[in-house]
Amino acid sequence: MKVKVDLDLCQGHSVCLAECPEVFNVVETEEGYPQVVVLIEEPPEELRQRVETAATFCPNRVITVED
Amino acid sequence: MNEAARAGLKAPPLVSGASEEGGHMPEFEQDYCAFISRAHAECGELAEFDFGGQETILMSGPDAQEVFFRTADEIFSQAQAYQVMVPVFGPGVIFDATPERCKTQLKIQVDALRYQNMKNYASVIAQEVEDWIADWGDEGEIEILHAFHELTMHTATHCLLGKEFRHSMTEEFFSLYKDLQAGVQAISFVDPYMQQPVFAARDKARARLEEIVSELVASRRASGKEYGDALETFMTGTYKDGSHLSDTELTGLIIATMFAGHHTSSGAGAETLLEIAKHPQYAAELKEELDEIYKDGEEISHAAMRAIPKLESFVNEVLRLHPPLVILMRKVMEDVEYNGYLIEKGKTVAVSIYESHINPEYFPDPHRFDPHRTEPERMFAYIPFGGGRHKCAGNAFAILQLKAIFSALLRRYDFELIGPAEDYEDERANMTIRPKDPCMLRYKRRVA
Repeated sequence: MKVKVDLDLCQGHSVCLAECPEVFNVVETEEGYPQVVVLIEEPPEELRQRVETAATFCPNRVITVED
Repeated sequence: MNEAARAGLKAPPLVSGASEEGGHMPEFEQDYCAFISRAHAECGELAEFDFGGQETILMSGPDAQEVFFRTADEIFSQAQAYQVMVPVFGPGVIFDATPERCKTQLKIQVDALRYQNMKNYASVIAQEVEDWIADWGDEGEIEILHAFHELTMHTATHCLLGKEFRHSMTEEFFSLYKDLQAGVQAISFVDPYMQQPVFAARDKARARLEEIVSELVASRRASGKEYGDALETFMTGTYKDGSHLSDTELTGLIIATMFAGHHTSSGAGAETLLEIAKHPQYAAELKEELDEIYKDGEEISHAAMRAIPKLESFVNEVLRLHPPLVILMRKVMEDVEYNGYLIEKGKTVAVSIYESHINPEYFPDPHRFDPHRTEPERMFAYIPFGGGRHKCAGNAFAILQLKAIFSALLRRYDFELIGPAEDYEDERANMTIRPKDPCMLRYKRRVA
C-alpha cells in the first residue's frame, strides 16, 4: 500500500490526523493553509483500514491509496 | 506572453446574441442556467461572453475546469474577480487584503472549521434542530424556504458567535445581514460604489455590525472564558508578526463566513427536503438507514460526524442538480494558453457548477434525480464545492449540518407535496438556484 497526497487540494482540515496520526500529520506552512505531511509513505498493512478511512473522510479528497 | 507567442494562438469563440446594453447580462439574469448551456453548446470548451462589459470566458468540461482550479492565484486571481465583495466584507479583509494577509485570514477561517471545532458544532446543530421542531406537533404544513433560512441562521450564529449571541442578538443580526445580502446583485458587478439606496443600506448595516462585533469581542476579552466557537478561533489567530485581527477584520471574517455558508446551506436544506417529498421510494431508504443507525439511542452529534452513506449519496445528488452557487470566477492576471487558445490578461474566466453537473458523459440522463448514482472517477467533473486551493473550506461543515438536520427530521416525520409536482420547479433568477417561493410541504409524525 502506498499513500499519495495532492497538496494543491489540501486546506489542512486535519480529519486524516484524527483518523490515523501514525501516517498523517498536519503542519503550519510559511503562509496560507496548513498542509498534510505523510509520515509513512508505505504504511504497514495493519493500518490499511484507518488510512482508507482517512482518505474517504478527507473533505478535499487529497489522499489516494494505491496498492 | 510575448507577441510572437500570442500571434500563434486563437481567440476563444464568442457567444452570439450580445445586446448593445449589458452584453449578455440581461439574458444571464433572466435564466443563467439556460444561458450557460447555450454558450457551452454553441462554443464548446471555451466560450467568451460579455458580462456587463467584462469579457468573460466560460471554461467547460473537467479538463478546462481542472486548469481553472489548479492555476496559481497569481495568474487566475480570485481576489480580483470578487472586488464586488469588498464593501460588504470591509477594508483590509480577504479580497481587499494583501495576498499574504489574505492567506492568513483564510487560514484562520479554516482553523475554525477544523476537526477539533467540528465536534462542538455537531452538538450545537443537533440542539438547534431539536428546538426547531419542538413545536411542530403531529402534523401540519410548512413553508420550507423560510423554515430553513431560520434554522441555518440559528446554527450559523450559534457556531460562529456563540450561544449567548445566538439567543440575544439574532433578530438584529438577521436584519443587518439581509441588507448586506441585498447589497450584492448583478449591478454590483458593474460598480459596487455607485449611488444606490441598496448600497447605502449595505454600508450602514456593515458599520452597525462592526459596532456589535466590537462590543462582543470586548466583553469576551474581559471575561477570559472559553467558547469553542468560530469567533474564539478568529480572535486567537495571529499574523506572522504576532498581531491579531482588528475588529474590522473580525467583523469582515464573520460576514465572509456567513456569506459563504448561510444561503448555500439554507438552499441545500430546502432542496433536500423537497426531493425527499418528491421521491417517497428514496425517502423510505433513507429512513431505514437512519432507523438502523440510531436504534440504540446513538446521539446525532456523534453519528452525523460518521458515515451515513445513503443520506450522503442523496445529498450529493441534490447538490449535483441544485448547486447553490451559480458560477465561480477568476480574473486573468497573465496571458495563459489553453489548447491553442489565448486566455488573455484582463479578461475573466468562469466555471459553471450547474453546467458541469449536467454533462451526460459523466451523468447519464442528467436531469433525472437519482441518488444511486456514483460519483464520477474523473476529478473536477463533480464540483459542488469548487476545487483546488479555493475549494469551499466549509464543505465538511455543510455536509455535517445536513446529516444532522435530516437525522432528526426523517426519524420523526414523513413529508409530502401539497400540490402537483410541476408546481415545485426551481427558480433560477438572481444568480441562485432554489425552490420557487413559497414552497409548501405537508408533514406528519411517523408511526412506529
